[in-house]
Amino acid sequence: MATLKEILTRRPVAATIRLTVPAGGARPAPPVGPALGQYRLNLMAFCKDFNARTQKYKPETPMSVTITAFKDNTFEFTVKSPSVTWYLKKAAGIESGSSRPGHVTASTVTLKHIYEIAKVKQSDPYCQYMPLESICKSIIGTAATMGIKVVKELE
Amino acid sequence: MSFFSLGHFFKRLPYKQLTRHQNLFTLIKQKPRTQSTTLSSVLIKVSACSSSSSSSSSSPCTSLSSIYPPLAESPYLSVRICCQKLALDMFSEALLCFGASSTSVDEHDNDADENSDEIYIDSIFPECEDVDECILNAANSIGLKEIPCYEVKMGEQCNWIKKAQESFHPVEVTKGLWIVPEWSTPPDVQATNIILNPGLAFGTGEHATTKLCLLLLQSLIKGGELFLDYGTGSGILGIAAIKFGAAMSVGVDIDPQAIKSAHQNAALNNIGPKKMKLHLVPDRTFPASMNERVDGIVEDLSSHEIRGISETEKYDVVIANILLNPLLQLADHIVSYAKPGAVVGISGILSEQLPHIINRYSEFLEDILLSEMDDWTCVSGTKKRAKEDH
Repeated sequence: MATLKEILTRRPVAATIRLTVPAGGARPAPPVGPALGQYRLNLMAFCKDFNARTQKYKPETPMSVTITAFKDNTFEFTVKSPSVTWYLKKAAGIESGSSRPGHVTASTVTLKHIYEIAKVKQSDPYCQYMPLESICKSIIGTAATMGIKVVKELE
Repeated sequence: MSFFSLGHFFKRLPYKQLTRHQNLFTLIKQKPRTQSTTLSSVLIKVSACSSSSSSSSSSPCTSLSSIYPPLAESPYLSVRICCQKLALDMFSEALLCFGASSTSVDEHDNDADENSDEIYIDSIFPECEDVDECILNAANSIGLKEIPCYEVKMGEQCNWIKKAQESFHPVEVTKGLWIVPEWSTPPDVQATNIILNPGLAFGTGEHATTKLCLLLLQSLIKGGELFLDYGTGSGILGIAAIKFGAAMSVGVDIDPQAIKSAHQNAALNNIGPKKMKLHLVPDRTFPASMNERVDGIVEDLSSHEIRGISETEKYDVVIANILLNPLLQLADHIVSYAKPGAVVGISGILSEQLPHIINRYSEFLEDILLSEMDDWTCVSGTKKRAKEDH
């Protein structure tokens, strides 16, 4: 809930930019460069800030970041952990999901994988208030749409 | 289908040759929608406007291109898609999943757009990406009834570089110290002015870490010191040290663009190669977890570097303003350059990352001092005189 003070001092938004950047690898080149440069944002400040905040992730993990650019050329950004589909693909060891989910199984993952992925996702800003169980359920659902089977243990 | 043949026709055109000659060539194609409802008829613009725009902006473009490396000039496709406001969020996410590098949505506050139902997404794709297929997949994945209307343009490199540079103006770091971009005049001629052309290397003086390091440097340099800037970026700290009175600065970086930028900035400040040396060093960090011991391998490589550039234990002041992981992995290496009793400054760390740094560096440094600005911190300490470790 925004306080009254926040609403009064809220800066007018110029644009909302969504990007996928590898962790610790933000540089002023495309794709970051043109996307931010055209709103006259300080590229270097963003790169440094982003790289510093993603130090705890494995390098080159694709992070999704949402930047809110204000009209006075300042900006704010939030970094989200990589998408569930990316984690599942890594856990299952496959490059892409199954072409016919539901009919053709691409690979399998164990419950332990799901639990680990859910723990990482819980640190995401929008998942923080959800119980771990519901996060797990939604991950299992995503796995089903990709054609990845979830088993209790690997045989 | 004419749909596909048109796509193939445009793909065969020599994009690569155009970008090599650095022409601002705008190639626009537009796909008709399968169902026509509110949007007016299909427009096909011929790039007649491109020839006039290229002639006017070619001269600044070539001067800029001498500074910016080929990497920054790698071509990209800029696509403007028109979609329903309701589907906006989901569609942007879907585009990112299917191959777009970025999507941005402008906020409009004019009334004309309030009434209409549609909004524009500007998306950037890498050059090799199949835009048609990506948009098709994205639309299908979220269940849009029709393929949105869009136009594809070749990205204009110089445009965004110029715009990004516009955001630089003179910065007063502290009383009597200004950082001035090359194209502005110093507001205070009496003060110590560092002239910079920021280029694509880090260090314009605006970031909190650069300011913290500059303040630290100002307090340390009394005259005649030997200074090492580890991770020099634009060379700003090395140049500042010379201006404060140091005898010589050495700057190292793993990014060739940074070394190039630093050379140019040194020249802008009339600092010759005798006063400021710059070296490109190999990236010695490994994508290893923080718990792994990499000291053995680092020792091996550092011996090569010693022969190459400089000896250890020679510098009076060493400052490293980089990132947490390299700072932790290269701690031995960075500190080895300092003389016993010399001051080592570490920055580029967020306040929450501070405990790791202090943990790691407290085996080498004593009298550790912290300075903080805006959630960024700078740690400084003097190297312990008795050497317990090697």
